[in-house]
Amino acid sequence: MDDQEVKYLKFKTYLNTYCPYCHQSFNVEKKNDKQLVFKANYKDQEMDLSLSPYLDVFESTTSHEVKEGDLLSDLLCPSCNKSLISKEIKCGECGSDVAGVIISAASKLIPFYICLKKGCEWHGLTKADERKIKLKIPRQEMPEQDKTLRIHNHQEVPYGFTSELASLEAGRCLQCKNPKCVEGCPVNVDIPAFIKLMRENDFNGAAKKIKERNVLPAICGRVCPQESQCEEKCILGYKDKPVAIGRLERFVADFERKMELVKIPIIKTKINKRIAVVGSGPGGLTVAADMALLGYSVTVFEALHELGGVLTYGIPEFRLPKSIVQFEINYLKEIGVRFELNHVIGNIITIQELLEYFDAVYIGVGAGLPTFMGIEGENFGNVFSSNEYLTRMNLMKAYLFPEYDTPMPRGNKVVVIGGGNVAMDSARSAIRTGSAEVTIVYRRSRQELPARAEEVHHAEEEGIRFRLLTNPIRYIGTDYNMVKGLECIKMELGEPDESGRRRPVPIKDSEFIIECDLAVVAIGTGPNPIIFQSSPDLKRNKWGYLDANNNTMETSISKVYAGGDIVTGSATVIQAMGAGRIAANAMHKKLSKEN
Amino acid sequence: MNEFKSIDDILDFAINSEQEAIDFYTKLATVAKTDAIKEVFTDFAGEEAGHKAKLIEIKKNGSFGVITEKISDLKIADYVVNNQPSPEMTYQDALILAMHKEKAAFKLYSALADRAPNADIRNLFLMLAQEESKHKLRFELEYDEYVLREN
Ligand SMILES: Cc1cc2nc3c(=O)[nH]c(=O)nc-3n(C[C@H](O)[C@H](O)[C@H](O)COP(=O)(O)OP(=O)(O)OC[C@H]3O[C@@H](n4cnc5c(N)ncnc54)[C@H](O)[C@@H]3O)c2cc1C
Ligand code: SF4
Repeated sequence: MDDQEVKYLKFKTYLNTYCPYCHQSFNVEKKNDKQLVFKANYKDQEMDLSLSPYLDVFESTTSHEVKEGDLLSDLLCPSCNKSLISKEIKCGECGSDVAGVIISAASKLIPFYICLKKGCEWHGLTKADERKIKLKIPRQEMPEQDKTLRIHNHQEVPYGFTSELASLEAGRCLQCKNPKCVEGCPVNVDIPAFIKLMRENDFNGAAKKIKERNVLPAICGRVCPQESQCEEKCILGYKDKPVAIGRLERFVADFERKMELVKIPIIKTKINKRIAVVGSGPGGLTVAADMALLGYSVTVFEALHELGGVLTYGIPEFRLPKSIVQFEINYLKEIGVRFELNHVIGNIITIQELLEYFDAVYIGVGAGLPTFMGIEGENFGNVFSSNEYLTRMNLMKAYLFPEYDTPMPRGNKVVVIGGGNVAMDSARSAIRTGSAEVTIVYRRSRQELPARAEEVHHAEEEGIRFRLLTNPIRYIGTDYNMVKGLECIKMELGEPDESGRRRPVPIKDSEFIIECDLAVVAIGTGPNPIIFQSSPDLKRNKWGYLDANNNTMETSISKVYAGGDIVTGSATVIQAMGAGRIAANAMHKKLSKEN
Repeated sequence: MNEFKSIDDILDFAINSEQEAIDFYTKLATVAKTDAIKEVFTDFAGEEAGHKAKLIEIKKNGSFGVITEKISDLKIADYVVNNQPSPEMTYQDALILAMHKEKAAFKLYSALADRAPNADIRNLFLMLAQEESKHKLRFELEYDEYVLREN
């Protein structure tokens, strides 16, 4: 038996049990048959009772018949004949008496309890003991590419859990009665339920469980900011590191895909109505999937020549392999969604025109317009918006130039302005394309960095320098108007304002220059106005984002819905998907009423 | 500084400046392309009207508070290049414009305070300068929160 298995108490762990009084073992092994052997009293009769020694395997045999639901009056040690009934503990399931034995686990001897009621499938630890054991399992790390190798390639950095690591990690979950993790998930995935299935080695079932609420788990497992969502709320996190929920999600989704367990559902009912989805980002894809599965005929219009939105043109290959995005899109094609590429809605077809042919429209065009700081010298050559820089790299495959036609923006000394995922992706792309020195300049402190913790960690490992509390104030150019430096000023956090936040303020006379021959501005994005040019009656807020009803995502035009970054401003993949789901439900409700 | 003979002169000047700002934003509101931006400029004009009313009140009562409170200066306006007003302005452009206007007013009143002939006039200019820096801070906070979201 693997010592680790006992230590971490996985499902079906073989239990070594001992009498608390005489310390004799209850484990008996005859040929291949392993049992725990006790003496029992039932209706004033003494008899033998044997139980399965495997955790959570509920098999028992008795020398006399015991009626289902009846209670044994005692359970005794066959060696010392002492009663094992616990005075303090009652069954966690049915409240009956329990017998207390000792098991060796987590390198310790720990009390373990067996319910005396026939049919009550409860034998376990007290919650306190269970916690002690769980706390012994360290949070599992994902194996990943070595940092010195990966900066020379564009392959994904983490390899993902093996099934052993995934099972160990799943074993850490406390299966809380009031799990907080679910509240932390923007689409309320039933996290304890999928982890429970994993503990039963049903990885496929676990994947299906997640998909009830989240249609793109392989993607979310990789890019969601779990540390500020489910994992931030995880109850284990109060005492130890939280359960690695994102990594488990990624594991089961990858398992389902690699084992080819994804089934294409047969859509039985066809609804004779058409849905147009504008934009193929995660929000648009969610609406398309939900509506197609309901039986609607769905067409997605995408402005670019490839599908996937930011998943394809923004997030780099080393963080989200394009084959995974492609797999999800293929699934949509299989369920009958039609895709029209190179269709810039607003330019070639207006929303009004779409409404003439389609019964409802979803706008999920994202926030793809770059924002610049508006400081001096931003027009020098080699000052890129992150949008352009990453689009060239990812969508146009500039890093494969000249195999692909787009030249790569290359710099020896690169500065990236901003502290979000976009900034990390830009900096890490630069280091992979041979830049000698890459510096991230961020105006606030480490605590406020909006990027996922894992991306910051990876960026640091890859040698990217962080200039925190540093604000760019001006670009410096060569005689040929190419950027050659960035003048910055050091910042400090000022007094807390009314909202309690400490804003960064410049430190007088602390200006200095960072030399650079390429700068990437990644401070945020705004809404692209193209789609609105022909639809002035679509109500927008002062930032230019669409106004939509929170409960239905319907806009100011009836049957035109919107969600994702075009409503919220740049946010997250899961939020865009959540909005897509709300919109799909509302659309279906409204269109069903028309019949 | 000859034209400022009295406290009332100064207040009239300041009230007049606020009126100019109201007119400026109202005009931008009428030419702005989208409803949301029209509303932004109408709001800015409304805020300036509030400042003007405050000054009229001071003139009427003949008293103003001496400044003790320290207004923080994020200095965003110091480094962001100003833009020209146009009907296509976005909210970011509008904020930049407003920050620069408030900063210019702050600088003017501060300079006037430096050259004030007596303590009363100096205090009044300082008060006006501080008001303007409060207004600038309001725009800078908005800029800090939304435009520089990931920076
Ligand atoms: C570099 C980068 C890294 C990121 N990293 C993360 C991360 O790690 N985790 C995370 O949760 N979020 C991350 N985000 C944010 C996340 O990707 C977005 O919040 C999310 O993709 C928004 O989804 P969406 O459905 O609103 O649209 P988008 O993904 O923005 O897709 C919109 C699509 O609409 C198309 N479109 C636009 N206009 C038109 C038109 N007129 N007609 C037709 N089609 C049009 C676009 O071409 C695009 O394909 C990142 C963003 C970027 C840019
Ligand atoms: S809160 Fe943490 S420990 Fe509790 S059920 Fe959720 S993942 Fe498991």
